[in-house]
Amino acid sequence: MTDKTILEVQNFDVDYGYGDAAVRAVSDVSFTLGASKVLGVAGESGSGKSTLVYGLTRLLREPGVIVGGEVKFHLDGEGEFDILSASEEEIRKIRWSHISIVLQSALSALNPLRRIGREFDEVLRVHDANLSKEQRRERSEELLALVGLRPDRLRRFPHELSGGQRQRIMIAMALALRPELVIMDEPTTALDVVTQREIVSELAELRRQLGFAMIFITHDLSLLVELADDIMVMYAGQIVERAPAKELHDAPRHPYTLGLMNSFPPLHGERTELEGIPGSPPDLKALPTGCPFSPRCAFAMDKCRQERPPLVLEAGTEHSVACWLHDSSYQGAVPVELSKRLAKNSGGAQ
Amino acid sequence: MSQVETGKTLLEAKALSRHFIVKGDGGFFSKRKSIAAVEGADVALRAGKILAVVGESGSGKSVLARLLSRIVSPTSGELVLNGETVDLKTQRDLAYASQVQLVLQDPFAAMNPVRRVGHSLERPLSIHGVPEDEISARAHEILESVSLTPPQQFLDRYPHELSGGQLQRINIARALAVKPKVLLADEPISMLDVSVRLGILNLLRSLCDDKNLAIMYITHDIASARYIADEVVVMYAGQIVERSNDTSLINSPQHPYTQLLIASVPDPTKLGAEVVKAPSGGAAAFNLNGCRFSPRCSQALAMCATNEPPMVEVAPGQHAKCWLHASDAQRASVTISNKSKNEMESKNV
Repeated sequence: MTDKTILEVQNFDVDYGYGDAAVRAVSDVSFTLGASKVLGVAGESGSGKSTLVYGLTRLLREPGVIVGGEVKFHLDGEGEFDILSASEEEIRKIRWSHISIVLQSALSALNPLRRIGREFDEVLRVHDANLSKEQRRERSEELLALVGLRPDRLRRFPHELSGGQRQRIMIAMALALRPELVIMDEPTTALDVVTQREIVSELAELRRQLGFAMIFITHDLSLLVELADDIMVMYAGQIVERAPAKELHDAPRHPYTLGLMNSFPPLHGERTELEGIPGSPPDLKALPTGCPFSPRCAFAMDKCRQERPPLVLEAGTEHSVACWLHDSSYQGAVPVELSKRLAKNSGGAQ
Repeated sequence: MSQVETGKTLLEAKALSRHFIVKGDGGFFSKRKSIAAVEGADVALRAGKILAVVGESGSGKSVLARLLSRIVSPTSGELVLNGETVDLKTQRDLAYASQVQLVLQDPFAAMNPVRRVGHSLERPLSIHGVPEDEISARAHEILESVSLTPPQQFLDRYPHELSGGQLQRINIARALAVKPKVLLADEPISMLDVSVRLGILNLLRSLCDDKNLAIMYITHDIASARYIADEVVVMYAGQIVERSNDTSLINSPQHPYTQLLIASVPDPTKLGAEVVKAPSGGAAAFNLNGCRFSPRCSQALAMCATNEPPMVEVAPGQHAKCWLHASDAQRASVTISNKSKNEMESKNV
């Protein structure tokens, strides 16, 4: 695979509300995404993961406001496209044909009064006026076949389909114009595990065929470990950790990541009591000074309550973390749970 | 509180079924169809034990909880509470409700948004006849039992001021207010933030142990069932397809559906292992004559499509409703009856 970058985000900030009432939902987020790569974004509700992608695609609605940062989308052969300064007209051309989104609730994303075929027809017609009605129909059927649905589904209304079928239709529509980047906002959260498994393996297959890059949002870290190249963990609107998927799973650095991982009971091994994460998810209206996770963190020190830790890249790795425990200024010993080392090129034995 | 012996059966369902009448496929005037949302369910809830009911959406697990709480009345079958058969022809009375309580999935929808938490907590107490002067003290006590302290701070709040995890604790507290013996928890953690889910599971476990409650924990998350349950049943399309009187069915599933369910769970420790290809199904793929799972089953036999499989013991304390595990004699009896049926039909022609 090439090392080409497709999306570059710098110091991105999103607020809800204005002036004194404003709440910072996404705070100082920077990352890059390589072409054909999968970036997983993990975090709980309220961590800003959905707001982030709505902001990136300029789909954010009032009272959400993008207050700062830079988002650059690299178009093949056409150079850079500055998403934040583009006009509404320009952004509409990019959306769907280059960047598309699949939302969590496919039922509310589809018009209940329209047959599926009409939705497909519209997407294709709006973006390519040269296609004839016949061609559009053929292309729609092709797209359905791509996600394993029969062509007669085009005649159906959304309520006649199951949750998994509707989500497949959303994915097929997102791929309709062969975008370079597909954003998936919790596409499988509302589905049961068996259907989730089907859709995830279909997505892997589709990516092999079509080679699009993907941002996949979910609260389920174990799903991301299977699916993503890199994982970014968000808490209270900030990135607290980013690492290659396997490394994040095997050697988490941030206490929140560790807590999140320990919040899922395992399917194997001994049954032991797990603790999860004490306390409540953060209230964005009243974030503590310092590290937003400090009130719930078992390892919090005085410094954590005073100063917010920056996201720092660990030397010689692709692993960044925002935690004072891993800062060069920290003199003490890093807790053993957070200092696991990955053997280089190990086959994954644990 | 009067202690009940651990392991004693408190609430038992015998061959409980519920059918719903729905519109047919052919438009407004088509014949009405009957759907068996729960069919022939046998479950026993025991003091100090947690029974996990695992199944996907549409498997009938929530209807089962509503049947046991008598919010929905069964089409057929029997309920036995404390050894006495419940008269299902009458409306649910206060006495039944005070012994069997239901906790619902969505803590936000379960609370009155315009009333303070205190109101929602004290009302059931007065309805159930707790003397006026004891109510406030009881409400404090209950909140403390679910680790919401100081209680007064929560009693004065409105639901929107609390997080989902706190609200679900209050919901559980409210269900416990009338000192029930049986608690039915319908997906109590699925709407909550990931980081607070374990807290609720641990709370259920400790309530079960401390108060000797019988708990039915309904979930689609088989890993969480393994975490807190003593016994597990798996439901598919309204029927219990596998059960074990410990969690052994999760470690060694025998029914093809349970196997599929477990293989589908994302598991980072099995990374790189062969990913199961799940046969497509969806709500439509139910077979109503034979085994309901047979259209999706990769190991289905010819008889599976036409004959309902028996519940077979596959290991000590573990049963699966599957022809694959049936004895030769059981299979043979079906083959014979099929043959004679065919002969009868050919004679009629």
